[in-house]
Amino acid sequence: MDTRVSETKEAKRIPQRVLIGKVGLDGHDRGAKYVAHILRDGGYEVIYTGIRRTPKQIVETAIQEDVAVIGLSLLSGAHKRLLQQVMDLLKERDASDIVVIAGGSIPSADIPDLKAMGIAEVFRPGVSSQSILETFASLVKARRPAA
Amino acid sequence: MTNDTQDLVEQVRAGTSQRVRATARLMSLVENYPERIPEFLVGAADWPQARMVIGLTGPPGCGKSVLADRLIRAFRTRNPHNSIGVIAVDPSSPFTGGAFLGDRLRMMRHASDPNVFIRSAATRGHIGGLLLGIKAFIRVLGLAGCRTVLIETVGVGQNETEIVDVADLVVVAIAPGHGDAVQLLKCGLMEVGDIFVVNKGDCEGAAQLYAQLLAVLRLNANGQGRRGADSCLVSALHGRGVEELVDLLEKRAADSEEAWRSRRRQTMVDDVKEAVLEEARQRLSRRLGTGPLATKDFTRILRGEITVPGFVDELLQQLTGTGEVKDHHGGG
Repeated sequence: MDTRVSETKEAKRIPQRVLIGKVGLDGHDRGAKYVAHILRDGGYEVIYTGIRRTPKQIVETAIQEDVAVIGLSLLSGAHKRLLQQVMDLLKERDASDIVVIAGGSIPSADIPDLKAMGIAEVFRPGVSSQSILETFASLVKARRPAA
Repeated sequence: MTNDTQDLVEQVRAGTSQRVRATARLMSLVENYPERIPEFLVGAADWPQARMVIGLTGPPGCGKSVLADRLIRAFRTRNPHNSIGVIAVDPSSPFTGGAFLGDRLRMMRHASDPNVFIRSAATRGHIGGLLLGIKAFIRVLGLAGCRTVLIETVGVGQNETEIVDVADLVVVAIAPGHGDAVQLLKCGLMEVGDIFVVNKGDCEGAAQLYAQLLAVLRLNANGQGRRGADSCLVSALHGRGVEELVDLLEKRAADSEEAWRSRRRQTMVDDVKEAVLEEARQRLSRRLGTGPLATKDFTRILRGEITVPGFVDELLQQLTGTGEVKDHHGGG
């Protein structure tokens, strides 16, 4: 059997798994649900974890679910501290190959700091669904899973 | 068993810090490469297995996930040293292939409990309320040391009853507000429960539904030789009736553990049969090939030059004749 051909077929067919949720204390989940909906319709398997989760809950869930991407929505203003905790825990668990994306009311002045800590992308209010899908697709494609 | 699978299996067995990741990756292999499922059934004869595999099924929105959350908590409290694995299945879109997996949301308080492993899964086109690789998933959770496995099916209608073949014990949850007592007489879902739960016991109509359920179950028990179903009235949201349900589950496990083990041995034989048939199907399919040559073959049948059974005879002879499986049409 020509495995090369069948592998490309597989790659097309296998849905990517992503986690969408919120960390910290704000309870506004409209944005997170909107993104989950867009990704669902874009062919992703979205594990939706809801509001008010701790960084540890998010990281353990991401590992058990073997997701390629974690997307976290934050509107509380505590994004730097919470995202740093998520990144630290991922490193601690040898899971830094999982891509982390943030979204929500995050001041653009904070974006360089977030990128420096390893956040792959930051979506601010008003981003188009097309742009979200394109960003997820390119990040998933570029991801190199740990051996 | 292929090398990468074997490596992951060893990591899970050895209980290294990578155990959880390796367990999750094995499950992804099962999901992403269905052709490798037999490795997890046939090649896993010496893996430890769960003591009890519980199937939790019922219509959408009847509270299965909240009930699952309560069951996890009850099992963890009763047996603090035992691990529990949960497989929560939700449907894939037949249009986009995407899925919204929202069961786990109700169980998030267990996310940092190292003795609870929860995996959400999409059906990916599989019919029956589960995913294709469900049995392999159960074996992987057994390997990871789970004593109890809880499977939450997709929200079912009336006829998704595959869970019976997969679980030792089936809990059917129903809730008030989904029709009158006539629904309880319909075939399918109402035939598969070992334990029936009326959930949302705090809601209007629950007591009446429970009374109707008891009447129907009594009729069932009269008509059949097998053990009648148990039942209980639960409010998963408020945690009422959950301990009674766990008592029922534990009692069933104590009574039937031996029977379950022998049934699993029997189904392993069936799994091998499935794996053999699948391999044969794939070989025949490759031999048949695609493209103009296959079309030529089929045209012979359409013209009446050869019958379907006659053609299959030819195909099988070609296979055994070469003893080799090469894609003879594909030029590979």
